[in-house]
Amino acid sequence: MIFFSVSTVSEFICFLVALLCLYKDKDVAWKLFIPFLLLTCVVEIIGIYVREFVRIPNYAIYNFYILFECVFTSYFFFYLYKSYLYKLKWLLVWFALFVAMYIAELVYNKFGNFVSVTASVMSVVFVLASLYFYYVKLKDEHFEPLVYSAPFWWVSGTLFFYFGSTVCNNFSKYLAMYEIIAYKYSVRYLIFNLLNIIMYIFWSYAFICRYRQRKSFPL
Amino acid sequence: MQISSKEIISLIGLTSIIFLIAPLFLILYVLSYNRRKKKYQEETVMLQKNFDTELLKTQMEVQEQTLKTVAYDLHDNIGQLLSLTTITLSSINLNDNKNTAEKIALVEDLTMRSIKEVKALSRLLHGEEIISRGLKAAIEFELEWLKRSDKFQVSFTHNNVPFNGDSAQETILFRLFQEIINNIIQHAKATVININLQGDVENYKMIISDNGVGFDVKKIFARKAGMGLHNIIKRSNMINGNAAIISTPVNGTTVTINLPYK
Repeated sequence: MIFFSVSTVSEFICFLVALLCLYKDKDVAWKLFIPFLLLTCVVEIIGIYVREFVRIPNYAIYNFYILFECVFTSYFFFYLYKSYLYKLKWLLVWFALFVAMYIAELVYNKFGNFVSVTASVMSVVFVLASLYFYYVKLKDEHFEPLVYSAPFWWVSGTLFFYFGSTVCNNFSKYLAMYEIIAYKYSVRYLIFNLLNIIMYIFWSYAFICRYRQRKSFPL
Repeated sequence: MQISSKEIISLIGLTSIIFLIAPLFLILYVLSYNRRKKKYQEETVMLQKNFDTELLKTQMEVQEQTLKTVAYDLHDNIGQLLSLTTITLSSINLNDNKNTAEKIALVEDLTMRSIKEVKALSRLLHGEEIISRGLKAAIEFELEWLKRSDKFQVSFTHNNVPFNGDSAQETILFRLFQEIINNIIQHAKATVININLQGDVENYKMIISDNGVGFDVKKIFARKAGMGLHNIIKRSNMINGNAAIISTPVNGTTVTINLPYK
């Protein structure tokens, strides 16, 4: 039962929705959500297992996962911007910056902690990418029914998660030290549960929109 | 005063909630802006549809005007020539050689004139072709028929700059010219009609004036009687231009249509 948390259940439901809605999708970018969400579920399960049964800190697993998270999310943003003639060099510049930061922080922490600064910077970049998407959509003269737009809801879910987690990320060390002392429960845990629920609901809806779009206009 | 860790953590929690509310409002804003964009697009499509309908109406009116001219010409001109030909032919006395030769020459002349008239009518029937030759040529062609009536002293001046707008604008401008001329013929009791075309890089101007009875512009517009005048204003606006109607009783009327290219 310990494996059934709000996060794991919401991730698994989202994975199932992705599997049902996207497995026949002809676009690789969308189809990649299936392995990515599967990886997320597996990482969460391993994380819980390591924490609860092996009884050692599980940051190494999340340090490994963040690489996939960054590459996939950045690639998907790039895929969304591609139709607006966004240049590949900016994606590569961002990857280079991320890798440099990631390695520097790992070395600085002597491989003994979660790369929280890199995760915070990544969150800020994804928030900016989401806002840029809105800007592009507002500027676009062509009308698109956003209520049924899969990219719009995916970006909205992503914005909610990364924007909402900014405060927790910035104060992660403080919260880790004091929250259990101050309260009986973890504030960080509650907020991340809420953020996960919101993000995966938005993403699931985005996959359903994508499915409907594929059914209405087969590519 | 020292802030307790409990307060700081509560503050972090509260700030996180605020950070969640902000994207919510942002999403609502984007969605509402998008709805407005949809409305704007629908309005644009509707305006385009109205323009297309009006253009079609204009093209039909140009054709109708052409057919009217054809009907008048068949009745007043070709019909008369052919009647005269018949009368002349029936009056030929084959025993009177001298008069017969004269009458045959007259019949030949009448037949030649009839053929010429029929050719001119045939050209007129191609209404679309008239406009495709350019606004100036179309107006000149139209005025040819007006001059034949000998009721008006017509003067047409221009600075030889061709119209640079699109064909839809040209058709509507030509129809405006026809409407204004029709108004003069039907209501103005004028004897002089002046038409002037002035084009430059930025504008195209058509000025039509007459020396007719004139009218009180405000009164006509207030009575909503001047459907023709309203039509001139509406159609000028539709092609991004404007029409100025200046008229006073007894002093004639001047209609100026100004069409900026941008």
